[in-house]
Amino acid sequence: MAQIFAPWWNKLPIVAALVAGLGPVVATAGVWYYFSPWYTDVGYRPVQPVPYSHKLHVGELGLDCRYCHASVERSAVANIPPTQTCMNCHQLVKRDSALLAPIRDSAQSGRPMRWIRVHKLPDYAYFTHRSHIAAGVGCVTCHGRIDEMETVTQMAPLSMSWCLDCHRDPGPNRRPVSEVTNMKWTPPRDAQARAALLSHERPVNPPTECSGCHR
Amino acid sequence: MPPVSRTYWRSLAQLEDRPEFRDALEREFPEGASELPDGVSRRDMIMLLGASLSLAGLAGCRRPVEEIVPYVAYPEDTLPGIPRYYATTMPFRRSAYGLIVESHEGRPTKIEGNPAHPSTLGASSLRVQASVLGLYDPDRSQSVRQQGTAKSWKDFVTAWGQLAAAHAADGGAGLAVISDSFSSPTLARLTAALRTRYPKMQWATYDAVSDEQRLAGLKSAAGRDVDLMLRFDRASVILALDADPLLTDPEMIRHARGFADGRRAGVSGGEMNRLYAVEGVHSLTGAMADHRLRLESRQIAAFVAALAARLSAPAAGAAPASIPGVDPRWIEALAKDLLANRGKGLIVAGERQPAAVHAAVCALNAHLGNTGKTVTYHETKDAALPSVSSLASLVAAMKGGAIQTLVVLGGNPVFDAPADLDFAAAMAKVPHAIALGHTIDETSVKAEWHIPRAHYLESWGDARAVGGTASVVQPLILPLFGGKTPVEVLGMMVAGEDDPGYDIVRDTWKPILGEEDFDRKWNRVLHDGLLAGSELPEVVPAAGTQAVAELSRTVASGGGAEIVFLQSPSLHDGRFANDGWLQELPDPLTKFVWDNPALVSPKTAESLHLADEDVVRIDYASRSLELPVAIVPGMADGVVAVTVGYGRSHAGRIGSGVGFNTFAIRTSTAPGFDGGASLSKLSRAYALSTTQDHGSMEERPIVRESTLAELRSGPAARTQGSEAAPGAEPAPAAKRGEGGALGVFEEDAKHFSLWKEHSYDQGPQWGMTIDLNACIGCTACMVACQSENNVPVVGKIQVRKSREMHWLRVDRYFSGDLSSPETVFQPIPCMQCEDAPCEQVCPVAATVHDGQGLNVMVYNRCIGTRYCSNNCPYKVRRFNFFNFTKDTPDVLKLAMNPDVTVRARGVMEKCTYCVQRINRGKIDAKLAGHPVRDGDVKTACQQACPAAAIEFGDIRDPSSRVAKAKADPRNYALLDELNTKPRTTYLAKVRNPNPDLKGVI
Repeated sequence: MAQIFAPWWNKLPIVAALVAGLGPVVATAGVWYYFSPWYTDVGYRPVQPVPYSHKLHVGELGLDCRYCHASVERSAVANIPPTQTCMNCHQLVKRDSALLAPIRDSAQSGRPMRWIRVHKLPDYAYFTHRSHIAAGVGCVTCHGRIDEMETVTQMAPLSMSWCLDCHRDPGPNRRPVSEVTNMKWTPPRDAQARAALLSHERPVNPPTECSGCHR
Repeated sequence: MPPVSRTYWRSLAQLEDRPEFRDALEREFPEGASELPDGVSRRDMIMLLGASLSLAGLAGCRRPVEEIVPYVAYPEDTLPGIPRYYATTMPFRRSAYGLIVESHEGRPTKIEGNPAHPSTLGASSLRVQASVLGLYDPDRSQSVRQQGTAKSWKDFVTAWGQLAAAHAADGGAGLAVISDSFSSPTLARLTAALRTRYPKMQWATYDAVSDEQRLAGLKSAAGRDVDLMLRFDRASVILALDADPLLTDPEMIRHARGFADGRRAGVSGGEMNRLYAVEGVHSLTGAMADHRLRLESRQIAAFVAALAARLSAPAAGAAPASIPGVDPRWIEALAKDLLANRGKGLIVAGERQPAAVHAAVCALNAHLGNTGKTVTYHETKDAALPSVSSLASLVAAMKGGAIQTLVVLGGNPVFDAPADLDFAAAMAKVPHAIALGHTIDETSVKAEWHIPRAHYLESWGDARAVGGTASVVQPLILPLFGGKTPVEVLGMMVAGEDDPGYDIVRDTWKPILGEEDFDRKWNRVLHDGLLAGSELPEVVPAAGTQAVAELSRTVASGGGAEIVFLQSPSLHDGRFANDGWLQELPDPLTKFVWDNPALVSPKTAESLHLADEDVVRIDYASRSLELPVAIVPGMADGVVAVTVGYGRSHAGRIGSGVGFNTFAIRTSTAPGFDGGASLSKLSRAYALSTTQDHGSMEERPIVRESTLAELRSGPAARTQGSEAAPGAEPAPAAKRGEGGALGVFEEDAKHFSLWKEHSYDQGPQWGMTIDLNACIGCTACMVACQSENNVPVVGKIQVRKSREMHWLRVDRYFSGDLSSPETVFQPIPCMQCEDAPCEQVCPVAATVHDGQGLNVMVYNRCIGTRYCSNNCPYKVRRFNFFNFTKDTPDVLKLAMNPDVTVRARGVMEKCTYCVQRINRGKIDAKLAGHPVRDGDVKTACQQACPAAAIEFGDIRDPSSRVAKAKADPRNYALLDELNTKPRTTYLAKVRNPNPDLKGVI
């Protein structure tokens, strides 16, 4: 009588065990990373209507973040600058540049520029810029080295766990308020000097409860 | 648990314990509540879900591209994300509400009262709160129209030029204007200018709901046009005769504050006011009364005559025979009380009462020395006074073909003019009719030209409040749809040119403020929201000795049932019919939504074998109307009350076809009430939706009340106010005193808990008290909460299934005699329990507690098990059964508060103590370097309450108002035996009955 099961069937239980053992692990790891903001959001670099270069304006020309994003110290949102801010310089500088044509169009027609948003939190999470500036969190902490980016790229996942990591231990991420927009600032190596620097600042008590950010 | 000696009930179904009531009660989400509508069953749904899942791929995992769009140039001093506040005014009839409006990125989103303005005192009413939605009404007319074709304003100006040329020849003999009443310096100036330009022009001022009878009565007393101002804050004894100063009167905000102050004064050791009400319908003022007498509206005149005799008023004559159905002891005690409080009493007659009654009341107030104290009079200035007769004579001219051009500047006469005038037919005879309307309403549809009307939040204008305080109406946004204000239309008619409203109003104010330094003074008026010192001087009307004698000539109308035409507390005369918040707002007393049933008393219903929802036909003055009936305890027998403002045909998607048009049977001779009505039961029924049975007390003392005498004599009076320990049980209440029959001062329950307690020793600990003694049940808080927190509107069918979404509800309880019950109102927000039953059962920790005492709702975690709502003993949690915001028109999205999440389907929501305001207050305080001060953070409901019944703040701070309120011996927690330790507590209601009327109903 012929064999019902061919010899290669002998390997099946081992293969099945390996798949059953490793499969969920791989799937979980895959979902854990690939479905998280670490993958889906970090590195997001949309093409903007005008190739505005922070590397040029901030890195080389030395504009402070607050020149354009003026409301960051007083408001919950850090605004994208109005066309007027661009035209402050560009009505004289590079007046006829083709790349700046949309800006000039906007200034003339009154239709606003439509930038693509890079950093976005879900609608149910409310983030307040002014509290963080006042607490001494540098722009670079969440936004990365904008002064080295030709096109703005999201460098941090901005996920809730990432935010909570700092909220539960804000010390390492704090700097004197005067250095908040200084992208090149590094904390002093000496722990005591670091502590002394921060002792002059207001004590912070970042919310770790749901009501702090979810309304 | 000591028993409650007074039984409370919310509806007749509950009182009779009908089986369907029991069924409805047992299930919080009634049968079919979680079913999908219209026949889609669960099986079908799951089948579809399975199919669609297998068909859908995982395409589009990346997040959608979102644009971020800045300004081209910022408006001066603006930064995005920071709301701005502007003072403006809402004109309403001849009142003006001074407001401070919050604006986000140039969009007004929330209205508050202006604390400096005498008509609002920082608070608001339900209509004021809901008015912001009217600005973003998607059915607003968006362009000028001629015969239905869209045109431009320029086209209209050109056309008007031609009409004006024709009318200039004969001094405006064929020109007529209909306006609603106003009190505005600019409109008055323009009206006068228009009359100068067209001397033969006819002008009718018509209000569908008007107080012209009062004005006529006052005029006969004073000899000239005067208006009155009621000073409830100075009154110790108040008599309301068919009057509702606490709800439907335009000055209700001020009245409610004065009245509540008088009640609070009594509790804190001063003199408490006492309110008597005599009325045929059950009004909110009557519900607040310490003594209420049911009397048909047509008998009020006889009542006043009898009272005048008891008060020994001049020309009162001998005491008339007793009024049928009225216990003479009642009038006796009332008269004695009024006489004992000369100069501190106040008699108020309602708008529906005839002029003779108002004149007599004016005389009685004068006789009692109340004039100049509790009621002040002033000449009307810059006002157009309503007059039905002016409309009637205009309609006669229109029917006679004498009018070539009719301009409807305000109001909706095709809908709300008296039925006997047949305004639509008259208007059809006018070759050129021009209507200014918010939507293409009933009048605009029949007019040749329709002009979209600008909302007050986008208008330049001005107004004088009652008492004379002048203020400017300042726009917060350019007209969204190119609307024009009455000022601009009139201005164009006067000058022939198209001047902007801004210039016209400034031209009016230049003489008022003086040309010198005008801009600075003008900016000061805009900033403050009023012109300081602009109150009108008081006048004292003559004693009017004839007024009381005149009363006897007011013959009570003939037999038959009495029909009373009530204004809708929410829709007024129908102008707010397209406002979803107002349609869904339960009527403060009857708690019906989205409909206007005919209201009858239980005995009347019994005599006609009527039950709720039975359809009746009302035959009155050779017209008839069919509508459902609702039984309201407390109404006089033989009276049927119908509410106007419903049944519109061209209101918009929300208001059209809702309710029944009672204007169709209302005549010009009797716009308030009349006899000669008859009711006949028809064989069909009409489903009504009401919120009054969504919950029941089940014999538990949820509402507690006492009398002033008990409060003062009971042991609680001797208890020193103990400070509320942070987050612990309420101040230990005194033991029940002897003779304390109402179960107010309960024995303290031993509170212990199996749960690990939170510690509340850091930061502000939020708590709230609601004073039932001050709450008048006006539901301004409900609309304020809806406005602040983006609470959706669900519609009539969903409300019937208990799915209304109001985070804050006002429960209304009756007690006592079925025909003439006493009423108490109780607003129920989330109790923010320290040991919250909802937190303990959420499987996904979507509702958790935070360190400042709030029970926090995290929408993104919620998976919709509804176990939290199941476990909540107070039933304050609302579930989004559907995606109520999915189909929101874009323009309505502008009305939403960006600081609060807009919830989607499947999540639970509830009152959050306005956590967005708390967070903003804490951040502001933190960055300013000081702790949160008492009064820095106000919840929306607290800020809106005209009676200032809600206190909110940090209970850990012993000097805060809320901590002091919680130390009051009247303070109690709802269902405290459940040991939920609610942060929201109540102060028991205190009634002030007249000892002479003990046992007299």
